[in-house]
Order: sequence, then structure tokens, then C-alpha cells
Amino acid sequence: MNRFQNFKNGLLKDNPVFSLYLGICSTLAITTSVNNGLGMGVAVICVLIMSNVIISLVRNITPEEIRIPVYIVIIATLVKIIQMLIEAYAPALNTSLGVFIPLIVVNCIILGRAEAFASKHGVLDSALDGLGMGLGYTLAVTVMSLIREVLSTGMINLVNPFDETQILLNIRIIPDDYVISMFSSPVGAFVTFAILAALVSVYKNHADQKAAAKEVK
Amino acid sequence: MNKILKLGVFLAVVSAIAGGALAFANEMTAPVIAANNEKTEKAALLQMYPDASESDFEEVELKSESTTVQKVYKYKDLFIFNMKVSGYKDGTTFLVSINGDDKIIDNFLAMSNGDTKGLGSKVLEDDFRNSLLQKSSEEELDTISGATVSSQPVVDAINEASTYVDELK
Repeated sequence: MNRFQNFKNGLLKDNPVFSLYLGICSTLAITTSVNNGLGMGVAVICVLIMSNVIISLVRNITPEEIRIPVYIVIIATLVKIIQMLIEAYAPALNTSLGVFIPLIVVNCIILGRAEAFASKHGVLDSALDGLGMGLGYTLAVTVMSLIREVLSTGMINLVNPFDETQILLNIRIIPDDYVISMFSSPVGAFVTFAILAALVSVYKNHADQKAAAKEVK
Repeated sequence: MNKILKLGVFLAVVSAIAGGALAFANEMTAPVIAANNEKTEKAALLQMYPDASESDFEEVELKSESTTVQKVYKYKDLFIFNMKVSGYKDGTTFLVSINGDDKIIDNFLAMSNGDTKGLGSKVLEDDFRNSLLQKSSEEELDTISGATVSSQPVVDAINEASTYVDELK
């Protein structure tokens, strides 16, 4: 139960992006299309699970004084490997995400979870935490990129990342004359982010109040 | 002193393992990446000149130092420049073919643009391409209004490429 709770918290209540405000740089930058959002999300899930597992494995032999450099070396290695794999097998995704793949190294979610969770818990718990937080991040970037893509281009466009020519989904929701191109620019990213963060905040406050009321009874 | 040494050795061992893992991953992916890049470029060249075959494009070496020219190919009496320029964000990669005799722009193909979608990415569209075709690469070319930051470097690079044509002939 407790394990499941950890996993579930990462999705909404402690969502890394909208509630812990971690890893916002990449969230604002890459959420221009659902394709990018999903691709980035999957890359972050992979890195997060693997880094959590490895760091949890070495937590007892890592000297306290140099734990941060050790974590960074591990995370940087994983990110570089993921980047090479993406470049080799999903070149289109590599072009559209560009510099933000290597920048996963400095994504605070990953170092944050390594320090706050994986260095203190067992392997299975850490893997689940990584999955939960990674899915939370993916959910956040996907929702944000969905809103931004629909408002700025009026369309949802999904292509197979391993084969650019294979279009999975391409539908128009808003007629071309009514799109708001502002949403593809950084301003649109901030506006979308603020609205979603506010909504998550409302949900959190509501849940806390309900829990408090229960205790009083 | 002893402790510092111990910490140093630990970090060195971790880094060595990391280096080994990276070398392995690189070994695995490097050939795939190189093949991918070549495939994209060849496909782009064939898209420009569908009647040609892959072996018709002969790679020529540019003697002058240039940060924008990636590669130059010779096809009949045309020189095809593969160029990469910066823009608002990631910039544009494009192919432009210039006639060796009169320096007329014969064809233009923008391969990728990493700038703002809907604005900078207009350099990928046909309107921009058509505004360049059959113009002299030496004279001032039209930029896209509203997307100057992305299109100016492209036309500047075309002007630059035309200065290399004489050298390549």
C-alpha cells in the first residue's frame, strides 16, 4: 500500500513539475508538440528509473562526502547513452528535442530524487519512485504540449519517432483562422504552465482540507 | 590525506566504469548514426534532382575556411552547398545549388529548422524557396518579413556560397 502510495503521489499530488516545481526549464522549452512531450517524457522515465536503481545499489558504499559528484557521473553517463540511442534509432526526435536531451543531466528531478529518495531507500522502492516521478513528468509535459499544440496550430500531429514517414495521428481540431500562435512561443509556455500549476494547487488544497476535516471528526 | 586518496580513488573508479559504459554505447550506435546522416543527405540531394542517381553527386573539397559550409557536391555544372546557419534558436540546415557559370540559384532545399514553429520554420516553406529560385546568388535576396532572424542568415549564406563558386570551378 505504502509503495503504491509513493508511486501515486508522483503522478498528481507531488507531481514533480506542477507541485514540486522541478525540471521546469525543459518543460517550458520542449512542450511545443505532443510528439516532443512524449519523447522527452519517455527519455526522462528511462534515465530516472535507471539512475534511481543504480544510486540505490551503490548507496551503502558511496562515501558521504562525494555522493553528489558520484550521482552526477552516474546520471550524466545514463543521459549520454540515452542520447546516443535516440540519435541512432529516432533521429527525428533527436532533431526536434535538440539540446534538451543532454540537458536532462541537469534536470533537477533526477538529482532531486537521487538525493531525496534513492540514496535512502531500497532498489525496488527507488525504481517505483523513479517510474512514478517519471510518469508524473511525462503527464505534465504531455498535457502542456497538448494544450499548446492545439491552441497554436489547431492540430494534433503524432508521428512514429522511429520512422518519420509513418504518421500515427493527424487531426485538425481548430480551424486555421482561429489558432493563437502565441502559444508556441515562450509566453504561451509560461501562461499554460501557470494555469495548470494553479489547478493542481487547487486540487492539493482541497485534498488537504478534506483530510484535515476527517481528522477533526 | 589517506581519506582524500580514498575518495579520489572511489570517484576515479566510478568514472572509469562510466567511461567504459559510454565507449560500449558509442561503439554500438556510431555506425548507425553515421549511416543515418548519410542517408538523410543523399535523400535530400535526390529530392532536389530526382532524375540523378546517388553516384552523380561528386563531393568536392572547399579550400577556404567556412563555418557555414558543411559539404559541397558537384552535379553537372552545378555546385550544391550543404550549409548550416544559426537563427533565432537552432538555425537552419539547407542545400542550395548554384550554377557554376552564371551563379544563378538553381534549386534550394531547407532540410531542418530549429527555430520557432510557425515563424522561423517559414524558411522550410515553398514561398521562400520560390522567392530564391532563378535569382542570382550574388545579388541581395528577399528575406521573409516577420521571420527575418531566421531567413537573413540563410540568404547571407547563399551570398557567401556564391563567392566560393569561382574557387571551386
